[in-house]
Amino acid sequence: MSIIEVADLSKTYRVFQKKDGFVGALRGLYHREYKEVRAVERISFQIEEGEMVAFLGPNGAGKTTTLKMLSGLVYPTSGEARVLGYVPSERADPFRRQFALVMGQKNQLWWDLPAGDSFQLLREIYSIPRARFDKTLNELIDLLGVERLTRQAVRELSLGERMKMELIAALLHGPRLLLLDEPTIGLDVVAQAAIQKCLRDYHERRGVTMLLTSHYMRDVEALCRRVIVITQGTLVYDGPLKGIVERFGETKLLRLQFEDDAPEDLARFGEVVRREGRAADIRIDRGRVSEVLGALLNHYALADVSVVDPPLEEVIAKIFEEARLAHDAA
Amino acid sequence: MTPLDAIATRPVPQLLEEGGAGDQPPKPSTRGGGPLASAAKYARIFRIALIERMTYRGDFLFGTVLRFLPIVTTILLWRAIYEGSGQSELGGFQYREMVAYLLLTNISRMFSSMPGLAAGIAREVREGTLKRYLVQPLDLVGYLLASRIAHKVAYISMAFLPYAGLFYICRGYFDGFPDAPTLAAYALSLVLAFLVGFFFEATVGMVGFWFLEVTSILYIVMTLNYFISGHMLPIDLLPQPWAGILKVLPFQYMAYFPAVVFLGKVRGWDLVLHLALELFWVIAFMVLARTLYRTGLKRYSAFGG
Amino acid sequence: MFAALGRYTLAREMAFRGNFLVKVSVELLWLGILVAFYRTVFASTSNIANWSEPEYFFFVGCYFALNGLIEMLFLDNCNEFAELVRTGDLDFLLLKPIDEQFLVSCRRIDWGTAPNLAMGAIVMVLALVQSEWVFDPLRVAAFFITFGCGVSIAYSCMFLLTSISIWMVRNQSLMEMWWLFTSLARYPREIFSGRWAEPIGGFFTYCIPILLVSNVPANVMVRVLDPWMIAWTVVASASLLWISRRFFHFALKSYRSASS
Repeated sequence: MSIIEVADLSKTYRVFQKKDGFVGALRGLYHREYKEVRAVERISFQIEEGEMVAFLGPNGAGKTTTLKMLSGLVYPTSGEARVLGYVPSERADPFRRQFALVMGQKNQLWWDLPAGDSFQLLREIYSIPRARFDKTLNELIDLLGVERLTRQAVRELSLGERMKMELIAALLHGPRLLLLDEPTIGLDVVAQAAIQKCLRDYHERRGVTMLLTSHYMRDVEALCRRVIVITQGTLVYDGPLKGIVERFGETKLLRLQFEDDAPEDLARFGEVVRREGRAADIRIDRGRVSEVLGALLNHYALADVSVVDPPLEEVIAKIFEEARLAHDAA
Repeated sequence: MTPLDAIATRPVPQLLEEGGAGDQPPKPSTRGGGPLASAAKYARIFRIALIERMTYRGDFLFGTVLRFLPIVTTILLWRAIYEGSGQSELGGFQYREMVAYLLLTNISRMFSSMPGLAAGIAREVREGTLKRYLVQPLDLVGYLLASRIAHKVAYISMAFLPYAGLFYICRGYFDGFPDAPTLAAYALSLVLAFLVGFFFEATVGMVGFWFLEVTSILYIVMTLNYFISGHMLPIDLLPQPWAGILKVLPFQYMAYFPAVVFLGKVRGWDLVLHLALELFWVIAFMVLARTLYRTGLKRYSAFGG
Repeated sequence: MFAALGRYTLAREMAFRGNFLVKVSVELLWLGILVAFYRTVFASTSNIANWSEPEYFFFVGCYFALNGLIEMLFLDNCNEFAELVRTGDLDFLLLKPIDEQFLVSCRRIDWGTAPNLAMGAIVMVLALVQSEWVFDPLRVAAFFITFGCGVSIAYSCMFLLTSISIWMVRNQSLMEMWWLFTSLARYPREIFSGRWAEPIGGFFTYCIPILLVSNVPANVMVRVLDPWMIAWTVVASASLLWISRRFFHFALKSYRSASS
């Protein structure tokens, strides 16, 4: 049985349209206009134990909402979800003991106290036996290198250090499933790398299933083999990272090395990205590769040719951009 | 947490009074525009507060309905008290007059309550923003007074309609309006009630120069005031040594006095004397507030702010 | 774990000793004012709605103690709920493997209002002495049962109001509403007599049973020991607890979990 099974999961919000001014407010007393926001629309996927999966998507795509539905925080409008064999929205106690949710923008630790105190309280809440707790805690502190910091008040820590503490807090009770919502947001590159390393190591040691949402490519590339792309509430892709380019990349880049200086009239073949000395790069539609190559080979003497995929970041950025435009138009 | 209105009524508008716009003096250059501009500013603030309230219409409706409950229970309680006593008059008040009195004290309180005044002063002392008064020719007391007047004008105009509605519903407890001279005296007593309330709380606020936790004192004083100002029951009902004492203290002017003036219970020379006494208390607290302010400011600057 | 929470909040409260003392003084002052008010009233009348002076004072003490208990245990926590919803910090409570209702209602204990219980108890005892009350174990037992029921009815009503914060997120008026609500529990049910008042009294006894809260325990102890009323109070308190819990879970389905 998969650890997460999601079928046609949807969440729709009714948002009250507030009108400006006094008269508008007065009118709002007896007649309300609502807009329906489809945050998540009929998403389906399955995740097996031990997988590391990333949810990729632009802001407002529905990634966080989906994650919250899987944690039982938000009640789905329709569809089904089963996590660890439980229905998340029922929030059964045994269910909540087995997973953890880490949110990059929210702090669960007590602000004025040292992180160590919060950890102790968590030990009581999750009823973790002392020996196991101490062992886990030391392991995590080592992994993240924060020995000196557990005695300091959380509010005195830097953003990166706080995030590390949040991560420790989440892993103390040894969850089988770890859900992360933008865990590295706002962190500098070094801190990001530390978090990524910790997650990777932890995954290797404990075989924890991880599901993380992010809009940072670096997180995704570092951690996850499988990516689920969500835009505008719908799932548009579910598979390995490289597959995205194949699926969404609409263009290819032709890297050309001419025997003589690169000609000037290359624009008739496609978008000329670069032309320096003997080298030139042309971007063309993917379907026209053979046609254009053929034409080029016929017309010019080429020393070297290579056909390159557009970089992943560019493809993803384009997907996000298109989603944003579609959203704005709606 | 003390219920500040256990027995008496407190209809809807008071809600808008809470957290009244802070009394922060603007920079000198914007001081122009005068009281009218200030009143307009407060009117705008209250309008926005009202809009915000209406946005949460469930909140608004629910709150409005619940506002009437204390009035209902007060009326029922006093009816039970009168029935139990077997008398038609208690402390010189008939049953209907008693209810009218309790409704009227709310109007008096509308004029004399100064939410946030003392706390605001204490905060300025604590946060050190009083430095500007040492340097610039700004008079804190004068400024606060002008600001409060504007605030009250705006508040009362916004609260007028709901109160009018309330009094219309309860008109059976009143014998119509009193005659012109009484009404004039009533208006005067209300204006003086505002001034008494203002200077009293300003004085308490000035204590903040010596004692930072003045808000605790204020809390205690205001709780006591609830009773001794006559907000819960007319001072006349209290036994003799107390009634006499309370009738010369300033607190009665914040609730009791204007109400009994309206009801025509204070007449002729008695009325004139009491108004004079009210004026005396206004002046007394004004002098006290100003003195404390000056000495406090000196002490403040001596400590380098 | 409840004990741990209690200890922690007590330690914090003691750290702000001055604040604590002020709070207690104000509550004491307030009780003093209530006593002064009713003493004055009873100087002019022999009974209020058929409650004699000592009986009425027992009622006041009962109300004061009961209110103090609710304030101490639940008021601040419920008040904070709207803020938790607004900031989205409610998430963390919902993720813990502990019952949500418990976490929402019992996070902190407000020790500043704890003395109210003692103060109310003293007033009650004095009233009993003054009325030359005869010790009756049945009455005492019934009193404690109905007092507990009163607490649970008041708690359930407060909790119902709290759940509404999920929809009306800017709910700073919860406290206001709560006080207005309790303005009903402050007086004996018997004042609701007469043509237009009786239906209101009936509504608040059988529909939204706030009038049972301090009325029934006080009645039971010093006036009428009415078994039907006691039974109804027990039934009402159990059903209201169940209803408020179900409503809370229903409300959580509309929770939108604000992000930062």
